[in-house]
Amino acid sequence: MRGLSLVTRRLVRADAARLFADWTEADRLVQWWGPRGVQCTGAEIDLRVGGRYRIGNRFADGREVTITGVFERIEAPHCLVFTWRLDPGPDLDERVTVRFEPRGAATEIVVVHERIASAEARASHQAGWEGCLDGLARHAEA
Amino acid sequence: MMTGMKSIAHRRRANADDRLDGVFHALSDRTRRALLARLVAGPAMVTELAAPHAMSLAAVSKHVRVLESAGLVARTIDGRIHRCALAPGPLREIETCLDFYRDFWSETLDSLARHAEREPRR
Repeated sequence: MRGLSLVTRRLVRADAARLFADWTEADRLVQWWGPRGVQCTGAEIDLRVGGRYRIGNRFADGREVTITGVFERIEAPHCLVFTWRLDPGPDLDERVTVRFEPRGAATEIVVVHERIASAEARASHQAGWEGCLDGLARHAEA
Repeated sequence: MMTGMKSIAHRRRANADDRLDGVFHALSDRTRRALLARLVAGPAMVTELAAPHAMSLAAVSKHVRVLESAGLVARTIDGRIHRCALAPGPLREIETCLDFYRDFWSETLDSLARHAEREPRR
C-alpha cells in the first residue's frame, strides 16, 4: 500500500456538463475553488491528456500554495483524473479522480484523492498534537 | 526520559514515501496493531507486551522491531530491561494529512455546490 486515499462526495443540484465546465475552465474555476479561508489567486488549465494545470491558493495566514499537475484522463462530462502536487510541498505526485455522476436532475461529485503521502510539509501548519491517540485507536482497531 | 537510559530508536532518514510505506507495513499486521494499542496505555517491557500473545518472546520482539523501524515505537534499554513506548509521530503525520484533505475537499465541494446552485445554468 502506498499512501492513503480519501473519498469525498457531494450532491449538487446542477447537471454534470455544467459542473464539469466549472471544474475545467480556468475563469469558472477561480469563482468557487478552495475551502473556507482560502482565496484562489488564479488558475491555468490546459485541458488535454498530458496537459498541465496550476491553481494558486492564498491561505488565511498569508501562505501561498500552488497546486499543479497533469491530466491523465478526461472523459467529459463524467470523469477527470489528474496528478496533484503542492508547491511548496513534498516531492511527490498524488492523484485525484473527480467523477460527476448524474442523479436525476442533480449530480453527485465524487472526489477520490489517492497516494496521499507524508504530511511533513503540511504538518507544521497544524496546531497541536491532539487527536493522535484517537488516530492511533482508529488505526489499531481497523 | 530517565537518565542512564540509552535510546536505541533507529529513525530511518529515508524519504517521506519510504517512511510512509514502513508505517503502513507496520500497521498491516494485527499483532503489531495490538502491541500499539497496548502501548497507548503506557510504556511496557517486551516481556509484558508478549504476555497476552500466544507466541514466543522472540516472535514478539521481531514485531516490536518492525514497529521500531517504522518509527512507531521507541525502545530504551536500562541494563537488561528493554522498555518500549509509543512514538506517535508517524500516526500524527498521517492523521494531520488526512484531516487537511478531508477539510479541503469537503469545503471546496461545498463552495462549488453554493456556486453552481446559486447561478443559473449557462
